Amino acid sequence: MDAVTYPDARVISFVNENMIPLRVRFDAQPLATDFNVKWTPTIVTLDPEGKEHHRTVGFLAPEEFIPSLLLGIGKVYFDTDQFDAALANLEKLLSGYPKSHSAHEAIYLRGVSLYKKTDDPKPLKRAYEKLQENYPGSEWTKRAYPYRLL
Amino acid sequence: MENKIEWANKMDEALARARSDNKPVLLDFFNPG
Repeated sequence: MDAVTYPDARVISFVNENMIPLRVRFDAQPLATDFNVKWTPTIVTLDPEGKEHHRTVGFLAPEEFIPSLLLGIGKVYFDTDQFDAALANLEKLLSGYPKSHSAHEAIYLRGVSLYKKTDDPKPLKRAYEKLQENYPGSEWTKRAYPYRLL
Repeated sequence: MENKIEWANKMDEALARARSDNKPVLLDFFNPG
């Protein structure tokens, strides 16, 4: 991460504008135990109260790291029922990084967010159709499989 | 424009900034090697 991802100008700009970056050693206590850290890099997205909403383990190149952070931010808002803010971050991910691994989960979460916002189940079916069309082998396509019947 | 990520190194300070700025925290557990 120090050699490739963190020096990247796009990453620097995104992190400094959208998040509060905190870096601690993998063995720093009590945090390492509190967050059950077993390998590095372990990268966690927290809300301002310190609650975890998203985690990745292992190296991510800039073109995967930024969408992973957008997914994490989206999940912070989704988990706290702030669906407009969740959707804004998921749409940024999907428009800017549609080929990223995080896009699969973002499509799923966008469908769920729209459903929870509107009580209309059609976005769930659209999420499945989009996943099936673009990422037929994804685990998120499998998770959305029941929505094809809506 | 900044030329590096401006890392905090204390959780309480990061959370205080997160609440003040209404931003999530990016927490990186790293191995200094």
